[in-house]
Amino acid sequence: MAKHDATERDAVDRYTGGSLGGSLPDNLWMHVGLIGSIALMSLPIVLAALMSTQSVSQIYEVTNLAPGGQGVDNYTRALFEHDLFAFMINSFIMAIAIVIGKIALSLLAALALVYYDFPYKNAVFVFVLFTLMLPVPVRIVPLFELMVNLDWINTMWAITVPYLASATAVFLFRQHFMSIPASMVEAAKLDDIGGIKFLIYVLIPMSKGMIAGVGVITYVYAWNQYLWPLAVINNKENQVLQVGLKSLEGTAAAGQIEWGLIMSGAIIALIPPLIVLVVLHKPLLETFGLQQK
Amino acid sequence: MIVLDHCQKTHVVFTVVEGYIEETQARYTTQMSEQSAREVFTNNKEAALLLLPTLFVIVMFLYWPAIDTFRLSFFQTTLTSERFAGTYNYIRLFTSGSYQNSLFVTFGFGLVVVGGTMLLSLFISFMLYEVDRFTSIYLITAIWPYALPPAVAGLVLLFLLQPDLGILTYWIRSIGSIFGMDLGLDWRTSGPMAFVVVSITAIWKQLGYNIIFMVAAMNNIPNTIDEAAQLDGISRSNRLFKIYVPLMSPTLVFLIVINTIYAFFATFPIIDLMTSGGPGGATNILIYKLFIDAFENFNLGYAAAQSLVLFLIVGVLMYIQLRVTDRYAHYG
Repeated sequence: MAKHDATERDAVDRYTGGSLGGSLPDNLWMHVGLIGSIALMSLPIVLAALMSTQSVSQIYEVTNLAPGGQGVDNYTRALFEHDLFAFMINSFIMAIAIVIGKIALSLLAALALVYYDFPYKNAVFVFVLFTLMLPVPVRIVPLFELMVNLDWINTMWAITVPYLASATAVFLFRQHFMSIPASMVEAAKLDDIGGIKFLIYVLIPMSKGMIAGVGVITYVYAWNQYLWPLAVINNKENQVLQVGLKSLEGTAAAGQIEWGLIMSGAIIALIPPLIVLVVLHKPLLETFGLQQK
Repeated sequence: MIVLDHCQKTHVVFTVVEGYIEETQARYTTQMSEQSAREVFTNNKEAALLLLPTLFVIVMFLYWPAIDTFRLSFFQTTLTSERFAGTYNYIRLFTSGSYQNSLFVTFGFGLVVVGGTMLLSLFISFMLYEVDRFTSIYLITAIWPYALPPAVAGLVLLFLLQPDLGILTYWIRSIGSIFGMDLGLDWRTSGPMAFVVVSITAIWKQLGYNIIFMVAAMNNIPNTIDEAAQLDGISRSNRLFKIYVPLMSPTLVFLIVINTIYAFFATFPIIDLMTSGGPGGATNILIYKLFIDAFENFNLGYAAAQSLVLFLIVGVLMYIQLRVTDRYAHYG
């Protein structure tokens, strides 16, 4: 009986905008649960960041959670002695090339698929979509042999060109173009501008959010690539950051593993995609269909 | 009386749900009829040129290698030569104890990672949906693992869970000792424990992605359904599991497929950095075994046969997704 009263009051509160008395204790648990979950999710990174400033001997005092004094030293050594800076430049070049290439190619394909009338259109779209079934692992061996034949081993070509076409990006742009009112293209047709001009002057300005969203998805995806670069890049000069982290794994001084140094490497590899996510989270969430309340 | 009462409530909710479905169906139909109005450009050559870059890349780097995988799987290879070997690779594959172990480990890992990720994400998403203050701060701090590279997740937990000097292991051991348990937690030598550690790492990284899609799906549930449920005084957990989860089912099926593919393929860096497939093959998932066979043992035909098995698995998953989301396509 009492429980019934409480829920009824709760329901009424929803309608009256919620008086403090009724909804606070109830929602308080939601807030506590959320803060707890988020703290738990973030704890490993906070600890890693703290310990990335510690010296080897501080690390070996397990319960010592105070920031150590060796932060600058750990980060500069990771970046320059262990080449993470060079790896990071390679990762940036790779990720940016993939982002720009993938967006450009997918915009052109989506333009054709939505605004052009040509035969076998659905078949072409299905042909593009079917590539969702072909992730790198199901074609890794012949793709590797192809890289050998093209003489692309240890080059930027190998870790960018195979990523340039994207079923997801074509699908998202196509979907977005179809939500733009048809009257837009009729006006463009009256002005007698061609498809490419229509794309540049009308579609792209109207798709900024979607392009930014696809950009974030692609950037994070490219930045996190590990398996393929590990297979086709086997010299230090051309390696990317994620795989480069592996070379830190064994670093030891006087028989003790330098975990502080390794953690600084992990933080360095996390920061760029994290910044991209925080800055561009709005278009990303909208691309994923999430309208913020 | 009580039974009748319950029926009425359900009826109200269902009427609203039906209205919602009809509305989305109507929207879908108008969108389709407007489609042809957009096809104003008729130059076939131009259309072909626009599609050419994408088609070139997918034929050259996706379709062709995929088809060649099929061919290669019937060959025995060394570093320099190929020799036709019929079904030799497949026979070897399915009679190999270590491959059977990998299959078993991979499906177990997939089950744990998909289940764990989705259950945790569902609760976090529901809390995000329920609170009405600080929503954007909560949202961005809850989805950040989306940007977490799997290699970073692996390295960080590899350190924090070190049996001898990891702070998390120390804390877990301290909690265990309160209950009188003496936890060794040496997952570097215990297979089941290593399996748990890589599963936790894989789940952690995948939470952000799932939360984004689940919150989006919850936000798409029309307010009228929500209000009807609230008015009827349906409890929170009933609301989540009996109303939201069924309405979210297309998104949930999509996430099951995406998460399974993630667990099968994208967790490679976690395995590579944390356990190298060990101890004793306990974390030797299919993709890791494939990589070792291809690039350390240079057994390319044998690895190609393994790729083909992976392709079949992806195919089945995508088929399930298409079937189920087709059936539910009108929910949006």
